[in-house]
Amino acid sequence: MAVTRMHNTLSKSHVMADRMATVNRLEEVVSTSDEFDQVVSQALPVLLDRATGYTKRFLRETGQWNDDIEHEKFALRWGSEYLERFLVCGRSEVPCRPLFLFDSLVAKQHSKPEPFCYHPDLLRPLGRFLDGLVARAVVSRDALIALYHHSYGWGAGDVIAVTGLNGLESQRIYKNFRRWRESGWQRTMDEVGLTKAELAELGQQQQRHRQRFNGEAERLIRVAQGHYRKSEPDHYPCLSRSQWGEMFTQGYGCDYRIWHLALCLDCMQTAWGLGSSGSLTGEKPRLELQVRP
Amino acid sequence: MGHEEELEAYRSQLLESLNSRPEIRSWSDPIQVYVNERRVGELESAGIGAMLQVQCVDHIETVQLRAEDGTLLGGLTALECGYRTDRVRLSADTVELSVHNLAQGGTLSALFTPAPSFWSRAWKSIADVTDRVVARRPEPALAYGMRTVAFTQALLAIAVVGLVADRITTGRTSDRTPSPVVQTATLSPAPAADMAKFEQRLDELVRMQAKVDDALGSQQKGVVQLQQALVKLSSTQESFESNVLTVREEIEKRLETVGRETDRQTRQMASRGRVEQEQLEAAIQNLTADNHRLAKEVVSLEEYNQVLKTKLQTAVASASKAVDPSPERLLKMADSLQATQQQMPFLFWVTFSDGTSQESIDKWVYEMQGHKGAVSEGWQEVRIVPPAVPPDRFLEQIRGEKIVKAARIGQ
Repeated sequence: MAVTRMHNTLSKSHVMADRMATVNRLEEVVSTSDEFDQVVSQALPVLLDRATGYTKRFLRETGQWNDDIEHEKFALRWGSEYLERFLVCGRSEVPCRPLFLFDSLVAKQHSKPEPFCYHPDLLRPLGRFLDGLVARAVVSRDALIALYHHSYGWGAGDVIAVTGLNGLESQRIYKNFRRWRESGWQRTMDEVGLTKAELAELGQQQQRHRQRFNGEAERLIRVAQGHYRKSEPDHYPCLSRSQWGEMFTQGYGCDYRIWHLALCLDCMQTAWGLGSSGSLTGEKPRLELQVRP
Repeated sequence: MGHEEELEAYRSQLLESLNSRPEIRSWSDPIQVYVNERRVGELESAGIGAMLQVQCVDHIETVQLRAEDGTLLGGLTALECGYRTDRVRLSADTVELSVHNLAQGGTLSALFTPAPSFWSRAWKSIADVTDRVVARRPEPALAYGMRTVAFTQALLAIAVVGLVADRITTGRTSDRTPSPVVQTATLSPAPAADMAKFEQRLDELVRMQAKVDDALGSQQKGVVQLQQALVKLSSTQESFESNVLTVREEIEKRLETVGRETDRQTRQMASRGRVEQEQLEAAIQNLTADNHRLAKEVVSLEEYNQVLKTKLQTAVASASKAVDPSPERLLKMADSLQATQQQMPFLFWVTFSDGTSQESIDKWVYEMQGHKGAVSEGWQEVRIVPPAVPPDRFLEQIRGEKIVKAARIGQ
């Protein structure tokens, strides 16, 4: 027993010494991009913990923190997000001291108004699922197109009809769907930390109380969409039906239609039926959440 | 699984995902371009070069390139003010990013360059070899033409070497023939056939030479045209540079002129200000002196007035001593004086409000029991019975009348 304890103590002190050495190395100047990659790749755990710590502190200071696993996961997720950006963009900042550069990057993110989409309900499994989907849709076109499927249960053909796309764009939609099914969905679920059990539970809830489930999903997805729509090109505001009609009729704003309609439930209702030359004349679409791709 | 374990598993998963950066293969789907984490467009990257230029009102802080599945392919953090460029390698393809931030906003330029194809690489290799063959390196602009000539010459040399080798081989074959009889028998037709073949090859060679000459001629023409174009270009460039220089000098001159003009105007205004100030000071001094002089005159006039009063009192006293009027006579004198005053009309001048009719004026004069007199510069003379109130008060009353614009006593 005593030997084991001693072994643990030794192991811990060894880890601490390693971390100190890594931090010291991160504080030194790196001169080339390759050197940056090498130093940073050896310090990922240290940097992830550092970014997570900063995010926790931000949440505490803004009165948004609770000591539970949901908040811990949220802080880890955003720490990882910052680290990913640092890995790619930091290379262009050499010569630099990586640790200080990383700290400044996180500080810059936290000095923005609403650096991330925080809502207590978005930390529960259903909220995490929706937040993850919409957040991913902002940076991935595959996820953006898949959002039509997850929100309304549509396939590639329906998406093409609803958004009124032409032949070339249509091919791309099929590819987006395929890639999402192959890897995109799983990757997103991993990123938001949804376990298999949680996903299964979501599926069961949907089967048991479909209406209530969809109602709750609609409420939460509106919160997420409201936040992430700020990432759209800033010239993509909500439009009236006549303005949407003009866009569909004259065939411009292809990107506008794909982006905005995926991220705005209200505009989807407004523009319903315009893209299909009158073939979609049924009831306006309601949120029918699909958990699986 | 407890919370600690679940959290640790999640952390490990995130670290693994960060560690195993996706292998970037040659890109065929468009590359999404984000500025300040906001999507601004995409680079079509299906084997051809593509460019995206974005102008932002705000400063550009970060640029990110992402694949369609959201993978972060590359990016840069821009300087707050100034240029920053970076080259992002995507397998063999590259994206050149260039950000320029100014006080008014930022500009991003993203240029996608695909990996060179097999044929372009092959052509580059041949060009390198011919470059090495050509001993004297021509001007860069003529390099392409010289490479072509060198390549043609190399082909020609290979053809000649082939012919000579063929000829030698034919000769050796005929040398190896052992029997002189056979040799005699075979000698007669063999030279004729060889000669024909040789002539045919010579003809081919001549044709090839002619072709090469043509090609060389056209190349030389092309080179001459290229040289002419270069001369024109350099002269245009020189004239452009001289124009730029002239414009710059002109701008500098104008700036100097403007500066001088501004200085001159400022000096003029300052001197004018000083002159005006001096004039004002002189006027104030004059006024002060006049004021002093007037004050002295007033004092002397008051003194003179006092003297006159004293004289008057003395004169009255002496007169009263000389004449002793009776009270009855004095009363008569007072009555006659009052009657005389009452008989004298009170005269004043008045102007009427615009648009007042003559009829209204006559009516007003009649009501006043007065008579109109002369008219001078718009002022009407009116004579009335002397009013019961003092003249100033009477004039105030008159001025209060609706049709009266102004009133005074003297003309």
